[in-house]
Amino acid sequence: MAVDLEKILRPEDHPMPPFPAKYMTLASGEQMVIRQVDRDEIPDILQYVAPLVNVERDFYDVVAARLYSEILAYSRHRYQDQYVLVAQVDGEIAAVVNGRQVTPNLGMSLHTVALRRGLRIGAHAFATKMEYHMDVLGHDEVLIVAESPIGFRRWMIEYQLEKRFGTPHELGGVPSWSLTRELFDRARDTLVVGRRPVPDELLAKAKAGILPPSDPPTPPADLLAATRSMYDSTGTALMAQRWRQEVEHA
Amino acid sequence: MRDVYVAGIGITSFTRLEYPLAEIAAFPAMLAMKDSGLTGIEQVYVANMGAARVNHQTALASAVVDSLSLTPAGAASIENGPASGSAAIKEGFLAVASGMHDIVLVTGAERMREVNNLEATDFIATLTHPLAEYIYGVTLPSHAAMFTRLYMEKYGVTERHLAMVAVKNQNNAMLNEFAHLHQPITIEGILDSPEAMTNNPYVAEPLRFFDACPVSDGGAAVILVSEEVAKSIDRPLVRIAGVGQATDTHAVHERENPTDLLAVRRAAELSFGMAGLTPSDVDVAELHDAFTILEIAESEEVGFFAKGEGHIALEKGETALDGRLPINPSGGLKGKGHPVGATGVGQAHEIVHQLRGEAGARQIADARIGFTCNFGGFGNNVICLTFVREN
Amino acid sequence: MAREIYAYECTECGTLHYPFKMRCRNCGELEPFKFKTVPLPKRGKLLTFTKVYNLPAAYEVATLGIAIVELANGIRVTGQLEVDDPTIGMDLLGDVGVVREEPYNRYWGFIFRAA
Repeated sequence: MAVDLEKILRPEDHPMPPFPAKYMTLASGEQMVIRQVDRDEIPDILQYVAPLVNVERDFYDVVAARLYSEILAYSRHRYQDQYVLVAQVDGEIAAVVNGRQVTPNLGMSLHTVALRRGLRIGAHAFATKMEYHMDVLGHDEVLIVAESPIGFRRWMIEYQLEKRFGTPHELGGVPSWSLTRELFDRARDTLVVGRRPVPDELLAKAKAGILPPSDPPTPPADLLAATRSMYDSTGTALMAQRWRQEVEHA
Repeated sequence: MRDVYVAGIGITSFTRLEYPLAEIAAFPAMLAMKDSGLTGIEQVYVANMGAARVNHQTALASAVVDSLSLTPAGAASIENGPASGSAAIKEGFLAVASGMHDIVLVTGAERMREVNNLEATDFIATLTHPLAEYIYGVTLPSHAAMFTRLYMEKYGVTERHLAMVAVKNQNNAMLNEFAHLHQPITIEGILDSPEAMTNNPYVAEPLRFFDACPVSDGGAAVILVSEEVAKSIDRPLVRIAGVGQATDTHAVHERENPTDLLAVRRAAELSFGMAGLTPSDVDVAELHDAFTILEIAESEEVGFFAKGEGHIALEKGETALDGRLPINPSGGLKGKGHPVGATGVGQAHEIVHQLRGEAGARQIADARIGFTCNFGGFGNNVICLTFVREN
Repeated sequence: MAREIYAYECTECGTLHYPFKMRCRNCGELEPFKFKTVPLPKRGKLLTFTKVYNLPAAYEVATLGIAIVELANGIRVTGQLEVDDPTIGMDLLGDVGVVREEPYNRYWGFIFRAA
């Protein structure tokens, strides 16, 4: 009898109650929906995460590469007890967050990627996953690390996380920080927002498909500038290039 | 004194720019030279605040003049806190007015996103009094917040008024291709919805996230020339008619009346006096709204509105793009961005743009007289400029 | 020994300054350092205040109270504020404590609490 190798390789997920979707109004006045996605929708997300691995700014490259591998492994059954939440505005992908359950009492936060900047979307998405760990999964503690200074400021300082430096985090083995239930309850009023249930129409729009981000972080537009600059969202480098060409052709 | 004209202008996007600082200064200078058709620059002033501290570079002007291949023209860096830009314009003005030079380039540049936010906050905070303010952890937002609290108590300014400034300026910025924030915001989203207080958290009570300008990189340049040169080229004639500068105590707590911005008042008086104009003559103004409260307070101190009534004019829409006196059509520091050393030059850029009638979707119809207020420190070093369109 | 924060009294005209200046704001005396140090009173009234959330790099706390206080002798100072629910005009008592710590430096200054 042939051994079913897949059965050996595939981790068995422990039962985790699903995250109930919620929505909120952003500073722009738009409505953002945050909901859990299952394996079927991961390929849709992957295509929008992939380009970010070329954006060095704010450690998007490291975070995107890691997130890509984590959610890919999740969709292919090579990651145990992971969940993925996605934030959408008008169907458009705005943020992706993921994490996992280590034990029934302990959660591990993995990544937070905002595909739209300047509206605290990343902060909302992060708060939402903490809400999932604490209120839905019933964890006592979530272990957290940050790759970027922005993440550090958001999580470690805003939530006043406790040090758990004796415990290496799954992300690169770096010393962990911890969100305890007490810290979460303290942050709840100011940092955790959202309304339920999501109006049917809004949820239907989100579920109809994950649309591409309209203004994602991008690597530089001008390859010459790229040697000196890592990022040029407004195309100033392109302007310079165009002007150079104008001069050359004049 | 000779008359001084703005012959050319140039600007980069105010955003995150990962170019060497000298290039951020040189790029708009190239555009300004191209705009004016003038390359025979005799003197260069480079406005910048943080090169030494943030970018680990000193003597920036020497680098810029060389990068522009303008050697052996004279060159000097001007560091005057967030008012560096207008201070450099004042130097350029004097150089032409005195008759010493005919063509002067003033360019401002800042690259402060090279460091993270915490360090940028600390960098700006170093302009406070080192022994009586800085050691306590005082930052510019904390000064603005303490000022706002008094303004609210005394004049009835509310968080809603502040939010109205933010929405107005960020919406103006939507019409400015060079602006940092291309993100519309609504009162609903930052003040009224159940999530608003989380979308718009406190930075320093009672000031919130959307009350503060972003941290920007960017550069802007103007070319200042004598009347003879200005009339020899085919560009609209915009004259710098008034230059006023004034200072106030370094430590904010030493001011007799903490809701007064005396340096703003005096700089504006000097500027209008020199121009022979009054605040009511102004068609369009760029005020230094590093924090929303400052647009309201400055609009009073420079004489547009009575003290304590700036927020009422705002409520009535008088300062909106289609109002009686549009303030910050570019988006201001709030929407356009605040690369500190370049900001004053950026304000002049916008005013010249408006007076030339080249401001596109945000053009103020028939603007003839423009005004800028560049606010250094927390109001301890202020420069106001008055511009007049002549032909 | 109790630590003090000092004001600077012009020995020519008696005007008090805080912080230190090279030249008296009132009489304009040109002979340098014509000042004697006078300990500032510790009691005062809260003039204005804020709770700061975005702190410079040196601070590891989440928020910091900052205030301008009018001391009993009319001199105003900036200091840190440790009061839960401050109101303008409330009576405060200042203590001189560590207000900023850097790896090799400690800075002492006013920390105000409810009187």
